Amino acid sequence: MQAQVEQWLKEGNVDIFIGYKNVDGHVIPHFFTNENIDEVKDLVVGQAHYSLEKIATKVAADHPDMKIGILLARSCNQQALHVLYGWNQLNPNQIQTIEAYEASSDPAFDLEQPEPVSSYKQKMGLEKSMAPKDVEAFDQQQRFSRWMYEFSKCIKCYGCRNICPVCFCKECSLEHKDLVRAGNLPPEIPIFHLVRAVHMAGRCIDCGLCEEACPADIPLRLLYRKVDEIVVDVFDYETGTSPDQSPFSVLGEKVVLDPVPINE
Amino acid sequence: MDYKFVPSVCPYCGTGCGVLFEVIDGKLVGTLPNKTHPVNEGKLCIKGWNMHEFVNSFMRLKQPLVKTFGRFMKTEWDEAIKITADRFKEIIEKHGPDSIGVLVSAKITNEENYLAQKFARAVIGTNNVDHCARL
Ligand code: SF4
Ligand code: SF4
Ligand code: SF4
Repeated sequence: MQAQVEQWLKEGNVDIFIGYKNVDGHVIPHFFTNENIDEVKDLVVGQAHYSLEKIATKVAADHPDMKIGILLARSCNQQALHVLYGWNQLNPNQIQTIEAYEASSDPAFDLEQPEPVSSYKQKMGLEKSMAPKDVEAFDQQQRFSRWMYEFSKCIKCYGCRNICPVCFCKECSLEHKDLVRAGNLPPEIPIFHLVRAVHMAGRCIDCGLCEEACPADIPLRLLYRKVDEIVVDVFDYETGTSPDQSPFSVLGEKVVLDPVPINE
Repeated sequence: MDYKFVPSVCPYCGTGCGVLFEVIDGKLVGTLPNKTHPVNEGKLCIKGWNMHEFVNSFMRLKQPLVKTFGRFMKTEWDEAIKITADRFKEIIEKHGPDSIGVLVSAKITNEENYLAQKFARAVIGTNNVDHCARL
């Protein structure tokens, strides 16, 4: 892996390589270039999950001509790249990747390692290790109250959006003053979380980063898995498996719902 | 080419979450939670997530201001410290050392907190020391 990166940098196949390096005991994202090529020997595969592809979009936004190498430490990194290609956030011709998947750091593996859950959460809320069908086993009222319990803990840190590899909109609906009023905690629920869920349709690659970043322990991934199920069932689109555009990139012809005024 | 991640600690509150500053092309463009930091384990509150904004804010104070005739005037550090020391002396002479209190902070290090209480006790001569974490 190191030899490959060194060769790429020397031969100009990539101008910059985004990987990981151990800095003071923390394995964190690191940029490797020709200027610090002697550091390439310190390139490691990170176990902690960072979205190197999202970092690449920031580099590419400033330097569209720069050739960027990215280390793929989990299968979802490749899926995120597909989504970012499909939405024109990265140009596949400018990207080189090295796959170094570790099975133990796969998002699917995380789901199989349930964390201990308090009895209160068991009674009131929903567990991260649940599948959408486990939630559907509750009656409608239970489902609603359990989701509302989870959402009511939200501290509106925007961590779920900030960390998400496929969240890149310049203007975010979650900051729109008519949808989510400033200064309220929890934010408007369930609107805040449902708006994000709807926007993740055809984008979410189930990497679990949002859930990992949520200080309120809300099972966000479970919510988006349900959305993803609908995308597969109704639109027959498997997000991230190819660079094909999602069905939601096609605009409809006319608005079919009557606009409803927003109550002050 | 100046591209790097700089590990640091959030200065906003006493929790002290670990962060990574994202420097792209020499510009501080983002803050990420440090995933392996024992304090926050990859989570941040909204203040921590937006730390790069205050660093780059045009409103950021980069120089001491001294209130002169009701208006804040920019000045140099030496000058500001001298004015503060002179005013402290005046106040202590007139009203005694217990007319001054020192508020220390969760946002500074243990060592800086130690220095601040030492300053209160040994230089000013008061036990009036308190801390924002006690509020
Ligand atoms: S799991 Fe969360 S962070 Fe990952 S793509 Fe889906 S919404 Fe984004
Ligand atoms: S990460 Fe969790 S607490 Fe933060 S805004 Fe998202 S749902 Fe709310
Ligand atoms: S991120 Fe928030 S909780 Fe953490 S130290 Fe900063 S202000 Fe405190």
